[in-house]
Amino acid sequence: MFAIIKLIQSLFGALHSEGTPGQLAAGIVLGSFLGLTPLLNLHNAVIFAALVLLNISFAGGMLGWAVFIPFGFLLDPLFDWIGHSLLLAPGLRGLWTSLYNMPIMPLTNFNNTVVLGSVVFALLFAVPLFFAARYGVVRYRATLGERVRQSRWYRAVMASKVYNVYKMFRP
Amino acid sequence: MSSPAPRLKVFRWRAVGPLLVLLVIAVILWILFADTIARHESQQVGTQVLGAKVEIQDMHVDLPHGKVTLRGLTIASPHEALRNLLQADELAADIDVVPLTEKKLIINRIAATGLRFGTPRATDGRVAAKSGEGIAGRVMAETREWASQFQIPVLQLATGKLSIDSLDPRRLSAIPAAQALGARADSSRKAWQAGFDSLNLGPTLDSAKAALDRLQHASATDLATLNDARQAIDRLKRARDRVTALDRGVTQGVAGLKSGLAELDSARQRDYAFARSLLKLPSFDAPQIGAALFAPGAIKPFERVLYYAQLARRYMPPGLLPRAATGPKRARRAGEDIRFPKERDLPAFLLRSAELSFLLHPNSAQPQRYGGQLSGLTSDPALYGRPTQLSASGPQLAAGAMLNHVREIPVDTAGATVGGITLPPFTVPGLPLRLDPGAATTTLGFTLNGDTIHARFAVRSTNVQWARDSGLTRTTIGELIWRTVSGIKDLDLEARISGELHHPDLAVRSNLDQAIATRLRAVLGEQVAAAEKQVRARVDSLVNDKVGPVRARVNEVQTQAQAQVAQQRAKVDELQKQLEQRLRQVLGGVRLP
Repeated sequence: MFAIIKLIQSLFGALHSEGTPGQLAAGIVLGSFLGLTPLLNLHNAVIFAALVLLNISFAGGMLGWAVFIPFGFLLDPLFDWIGHSLLLAPGLRGLWTSLYNMPIMPLTNFNNTVVLGSVVFALLFAVPLFFAARYGVVRYRATLGERVRQSRWYRAVMASKVYNVYKMFRP
Repeated sequence: MSSPAPRLKVFRWRAVGPLLVLLVIAVILWILFADTIARHESQQVGTQVLGAKVEIQDMHVDLPHGKVTLRGLTIASPHEALRNLLQADELAADIDVVPLTEKKLIINRIAATGLRFGTPRATDGRVAAKSGEGIAGRVMAETREWASQFQIPVLQLATGKLSIDSLDPRRLSAIPAAQALGARADSSRKAWQAGFDSLNLGPTLDSAKAALDRLQHASATDLATLNDARQAIDRLKRARDRVTALDRGVTQGVAGLKSGLAELDSARQRDYAFARSLLKLPSFDAPQIGAALFAPGAIKPFERVLYYAQLARRYMPPGLLPRAATGPKRARRAGEDIRFPKERDLPAFLLRSAELSFLLHPNSAQPQRYGGQLSGLTSDPALYGRPTQLSASGPQLAAGAMLNHVREIPVDTAGATVGGITLPPFTVPGLPLRLDPGAATTTLGFTLNGDTIHARFAVRSTNVQWARDSGLTRTTIGELIWRTVSGIKDLDLEARISGELHHPDLAVRSNLDQAIATRLRAVLGEQVAAAEKQVRARVDSLVNDKVGPVRARVNEVQTQAQAQVAQQRAKVDELQKQLEQRLRQVLGGVRLP
């Protein structure tokens, strides 16, 4: 329940923040990496650090993560297939062999079919997701944004103490 | 004047602090829980690899010094529910730290103390045998299937009766063979008839007769008639060639039908054998008796050794091609981890050397201490370049194994002789007898060269104990068997497997075979002969109705075809002969141009 409230706070907080639609969309894109790819992997530590350090919407990242987790589970067979095809492609064997025998790189688990497949998918999906999310935020702010901001329940949600935590990371 | 647009900040510097705090927390958590995580991961990986539960009581990882210590290691048996494969008091390992950054585990040395084998356990530790998942599960299923392929003769003597199961005509091979042969005979008959019709000899014979008639009244100067006669002879020769070609086809067809008839006889013999197997008649051949008595138990050691050999081949494959293994267990799909070994680089796993110290008879008053060595255990034998070797020795033990996966065709060998091992008592299949081998000397030899297996398992004991259940005493045969074996105190059992792995031959012999076979022959010989006769009569009654008419039809078709060919050939030959003879008479020995 707490997580859902927090998510709603994050979502509306982000949508109504001073952050630009681009910042919010970039956060959603990075969050989608966390949701689409298996979480406990080194590349996600880098993604998380980027989400915290870069001046993009952290709330958007949390939103993207939450939204794309179920898609990650659903698309696992596809990721497995993509990863399998790439890792066993004869033309790429030299690349994988070099990476596999390089320090640190094997710790990213890139040689796992699901990890590689999901990362590649997330990378390819990032560009259309960025533009779609940016367009969505612009449209929201132009149409529904002001009405939501004036609503009582929005003010109630934003007055919550949890929101203060979020504010620390707002763009 | 418009104010300048605010400069867009790329970094959120104030988040560096919290991120560093998070990093420090992660490091503290690692320090606190590294041992637990490593223990958990080791248990998980070990269980996945071996197909049996691996439990570790305590594990300490000292990365700065490259030392790992395990205490209370228990590996369950993949095959037996309540038995451990081994337990170890302590394993101390020296590892190379730098290769860990490449996710490679290089263990320079392990010292294992307090190893114990075959100890009992409270819970079922089998994993692969129950789940059938992963590489171990697949190997387990394959070896089980492999072990089940051996046709072990059944010995039914407990009741002394020869039971006759129902014989289903649909399972007899002679009947479908007869139907197929009948169809072949019919199609041959049609084909040959079409061949005769296409010969179209009537006009040729008629014109030849007419030419012969004209030649009877012709003189040497009647060139047109002579020419006609010669053309008629040519036509007859061509007709004869056609008849010869047809004859060749008929001869081949007849040979095919004859082999079909021979196949019918073979099918009938197979049906006799099948029907005999339904009766579950005891065999009186000593090798068959040996197989019936001991094969079910003797196959198990081979199956287990093969399981480990095949596991080794999956995890230690020859060559440097990419190789896949099941990925880590997680909420998401595990996928597959693909390894990419590289020439002149380190393998993903290497245990350079291990010193083993273990106990035999750990529960006895004076447990015996033994020592062993293991070297070159690696995931990439082609990179390490040397085979994996294991040796162990002691007062009553000599064991060695070598897994040579360095070259393209892997060769796995193992051999062990263990004395003074108390084997568990077992029920002799088909007989309500229990045999307690007592303290025996067990020998196992195993070679798997590519896909060719040669293995030998032998048990020798000089103090066997026999026990019988109450059912045995109620039958005459049981009493006789009991009298035969109960006085035997020695057991000398040997099982051999050899041949292609997918279909090897199994031979089992023991010193009991001849004694039991002689007894059986004396008691059951007449009953078995009568039952066999009955079986043959039953098969004949089912088969004869179908086979008899087909055999007659085949004979009729081939006789008819051969007669037709002979008749046609005789007509052609006769006319040709008459024409040539008359031509010679008319010409008086003069050859026309």
